[in-house]
Order: sequence, then C-alpha cells, then structure tokens
Amino acid sequence: MHSFKLISTFIKINIQMAVAYRADTVVNILLNLMWLGWELLTLSIIFSNTQTISGWGFGELIALLGVFRLINTMMVALIWPNTEKFNQSIRDGSMDYTILQPVNSMFLVTFSRITIWRIWDLILAIVLITVGINISGDLVTPLSIAHFILLAFSGVVIIYSLWIVLIALTFWFTKFDNNVTILHALIDAGRYPSTVYPIWLQIIVTFLIPIAVATTVPLQALRGDLEGWRIIMFFAIGIASFIVASQVWKRGLKQYSGASS
Amino acid sequence: MSSESIIVEQLSKTYQVPEREGGFGAAVRGFFKRKYKDVKAVQEVNFKIEQGEIVGFLGPNGAGKTTTLKMLSGLLHPTGGTANVLGFTPWELKPDYLRSMTLVMGQRNRLAWDIPAADSYLLAQAIYRLSDDDYKKTYKELDELLELEPLMKKPVRNLSLGERMKVEIAAGLLHRPKVLFLDEPTIGLDISGQVKIREFLREYNKRTGATILLTSHYMADVTALCERIIIIHHGQLKYDGGIANLSRRIAPFKLIGVRLALSEDEGLGDSNGRDLSKYGDPVQNEEDAEKVYVRVKAEDVTKVTSRMLSELPIHDITIADPPIEDVIERAFNE
Repeated sequence: MHSFKLISTFIKINIQMAVAYRADTVVNILLNLMWLGWELLTLSIIFSNTQTISGWGFGELIALLGVFRLINTMMVALIWPNTEKFNQSIRDGSMDYTILQPVNSMFLVTFSRITIWRIWDLILAIVLITVGINISGDLVTPLSIAHFILLAFSGVVIIYSLWIVLIALTFWFTKFDNNVTILHALIDAGRYPSTVYPIWLQIIVTFLIPIAVATTVPLQALRGDLEGWRIIMFFAIGIASFIVASQVWKRGLKQYSGASS
Repeated sequence: MSSESIIVEQLSKTYQVPEREGGFGAAVRGFFKRKYKDVKAVQEVNFKIEQGEIVGFLGPNGAGKTTTLKMLSGLLHPTGGTANVLGFTPWELKPDYLRSMTLVMGQRNRLAWDIPAADSYLLAQAIYRLSDDDYKKTYKELDELLELEPLMKKPVRNLSLGERMKVEIAAGLLHRPKVLFLDEPTIGLDISGQVKIREFLREYNKRTGATILLTSHYMADVTALCERIIIIHHGQLKYDGGIANLSRRIAPFKLIGVRLALSEDEGLGDSNGRDLSKYGDPVQNEEDAEKVYVRVKAEDVTKVTSRMLSELPIHDITIADPPIEDVIERAFNE
C-alpha cells in the first residue's frame, strides 16, 4: 500500500518536473508524437509484408514485439533516467540522503525518476500483446495466457535485477558510467526470437544472458510449447535473480558506507 | 531510558586510500597493482550528549568531523568502537531510527531543482508516512520560524542561497526528528542569513527539546548556539566541555588592555606606540587604535597589572578572556 502511495507521489512529481520548462515540454510532446508515428509505420510495414519468421506465426511475432516494447518501456521510462540520477547522486553525494530515508533504497533508486512521456509506449506494448494474442486465435488458451503473463513478468524482473546488479557495481568502482551501456547492448539482442540465431549464439543468449528468458520464453509459453516444469523453472529464475540482486545491492551499500568519506 | 541521546565509545574509522605517485608510469603501475595507505580519520573518540543539548563540533578541515557525523547518522560503518543514538546503533539503518533523526549537509541538496519545494515536501510526507494533520502542524511551526510560505511556490533553483538553505533545513525537519546532525548548516550564507538560521535552531531546540550536534566554520554559530563544544583534531578528541572553560584549559591566558594617559611632556603618538613587550605578548588591535593589549599568563595577571599600574601612566585598564576564535585556533595549532 505504502509503495503504491510512494509510486503515485513519484509520478506526480515527475509530471511536474516534465512540464517545468515550457519549451522543453512542447518539444517533448512533438518528439514523442513523431516517434509514435514512426513506430506505427514500422509496424504496418511488418504487418503487410511478413507472415512468418523461422517458424513463428504472425500473431506471436506481434506479441513478441509487444513484450519487447514492454521491456523497452521499462528501460526508457525507468532504467535510463534513474541510472543517470543514480550515477550523479554517487558523484555529488546526494546518495547519502537516499540511504538515510526510512524506505528501501533500492525502491527509491528504481522509481525516483520516471519518464512520463513514455506512457504511450506502455499502451502500445499492451495493445501489441493483446492484438498478437488475438491473432494467434485458437493456439492460445486462458491457461497459456496466464503462463505468458507470469513469464513476461518474470522476464521483466530478471532484466530489472540485472540492472540493479550493474548499477550496484558502482558502489565498488565509484566511476562506472558504462554500467547501462552494457545492459543496453544485451537487451538489443532480444528484439528477435532467439531461435533465429545460430545455435552457439542461442546458447549465449539463453544461458549467459537471460534476455531470451524475458522475451522469447513467455511467447513459447503462450503457444503452449513449454512444459510445466520449464515454466516453473523460468519463474523461479525470476524470483532467484531478484533475491540475488537485492543481496548484491545490500552488499554494495555496505561497501559504499565503508569506503566513502 | 537514560537522558543521554548520543553515546559514543572508542569510535574509530580508518580509511584505505589508494596511493600512487604522479606521472604516467605510476598511473599504469597503479592500474595493475594498487597500493593502499591507512588514513586514521577518527581515533577512539568518546563523548556523551544529553537529550536537548546543542553541541558544537569543531575542528579544522580534515579533522574527522564529517566522518564522525556520518557514522552517527548511519552512513558509515566504523572500524572500531560503538555508538548509540536514541537507543539505536546508527549504521544498522533501522527505519525507526531513520525516522527519528536527520542529517542536513550544508553543501548537499536533497530537494529537486526544477520543482517548488512544496512538492518535494509532499514526497517527504509520503516517505515518512506523516498524516496530513501532523504534516500540516509541523509545516505551520516551521513556517512560523523560518517564513517558508513565500518560498514554497518557486522552483528551488530560483531561490537564493539563504532561501534554499531554509527550505533544505525545513525539509530535513518535517518528520520531527529528535536528533539533528547539522554539517555546516550556514555555509556560504551572509551574516543575516547565518543569524536567521542560528535563531531558528535555538528556537527549534527550545520548542522541541531536540538534541543538536552541529559543525560550523563560523565561530559565531558556535558561540551563539552552543554552551558545550567538542574539538577534534587529527581524528582525536582534544576538548569536550563548556565554551567558558575552554580558554582556561587550552589557553590559560588573559588579555590586559590599557589606554595610556597623555602626559604633557610626552607626545600624543608615543604613548600608544610604547613598547609593552616586557609585560607580555603584545596583541594586534585594529578596532581601537588607542588601546594596547598584551597577552599574559593567567597566574601572572595580578603581578603584571600592578607593575603596569605603577610604571605606566594608565588611563584605564581592562582584563578579559581572549576571544574564543583565538583560543580554538591555538587548540588546533597545538
């Protein structure tokens, strides 16, 4: 409950910050409208030319695109701005104030900046997923949709955890501004289903980098391609990665408090 | 519960600081193999502070003041010793502890730049789970003391330094902390700004009974606010006690000031330019050109005074403690 209240306060504050400068606001609205147009155009080209890629059905592709967008939204709306703020707060010392708030610092670092312009991205992602599932038609059952949502959520958590680990490394190295460039490079590989790649790359993408888990696996669940134990496993990986990330974060804070002056 | 709100025992902090010489070769070597040097920032410091006390924490730059404040607020883990603030061990960062203390650092901003402070205050209200009534009540009190209202609607970036400090301090007090750690709360402010913050702190302490530990470079902050000071130098506690006693302990000197009578046969200039060094250390005096001061050991004051009275054409004579600034300066230089 308290978390929701905090997030809604953060959203309010971020809306105020977003509209603090008038010219900036106008430019942002125009830019985002252009982006949306460009995205829709790209999608319509895909819609009109493609039927299948490497055995994937059209509806599933659309849904995959939706999941990818969902993760992308998280990246753009939360991860980028908060990384920037985080790196800055380490440098100027305002991290000290964050640590001394009676609220989980990982939570504060995650939500204190929200790029509210990306709300349309979120809507687009949900529309794509819904449309994709609908096109797939008979292939999906309510149960497989539930699996899909569960695993999509789990995938988002995995990427989020990866991000937490990456920024927590800053506590050890003080200057590590490339932390998120690495993450970005990894995420981009998830834009296409991992079965498109050669086998060795699939292995890397599936096992070394859990990106495939976040985009492809939920889709497989949607198609009913995943056995029950795999679904449980992937979900467990999501939970485990969150626990690991929280632990790394805690250690990082301890390191920070041991070294800074 | 005892009436002590802060108890510090044998508190120590040693940093490991990477060390290398200048130059390219050293930089490359340092990349592969780091050498570390131990820096003892705080060494076995002990003190206790009663609830409701205002204590000035003094020391030159790098003495370990900020490190101590950071340990007491919970940001740093000590390498030795213990601290107890309001019954908590600060660095465990228990939410109940964080809700009952505040750290205000004059050189760091907690408020978002681009929006009015009022909006950041609402965030603080959410974070500290303050009910609307409590929040309004506290805000009203702070507003009375600091005249916040006119500053609330402007984005923080448009406030002057003094105004910003007011809203920053108020932001740190919205949750009614029982212990305040203030690191240079008046830094960079002009005299009237300093006075306002000072008056506020005194009044706030009187009203709420909060314990305040503050560091400041401005001696006036300390002399105006604190009856007790703690001096730390090279990480070690040098003095802990009343301001009045400090001069006796660290610099047992008195200042004898004399104004000499102008006799007929002596010229006007001579009387004040007279060499008084045989009585004690002459002290520069810029405020009053006609008055000459000598610094004399406390136990010799009577002797020297009577000698001066008999040997010099004294118009008036004063005996006073040296200004606190001088005393502390001497304490640092010891």
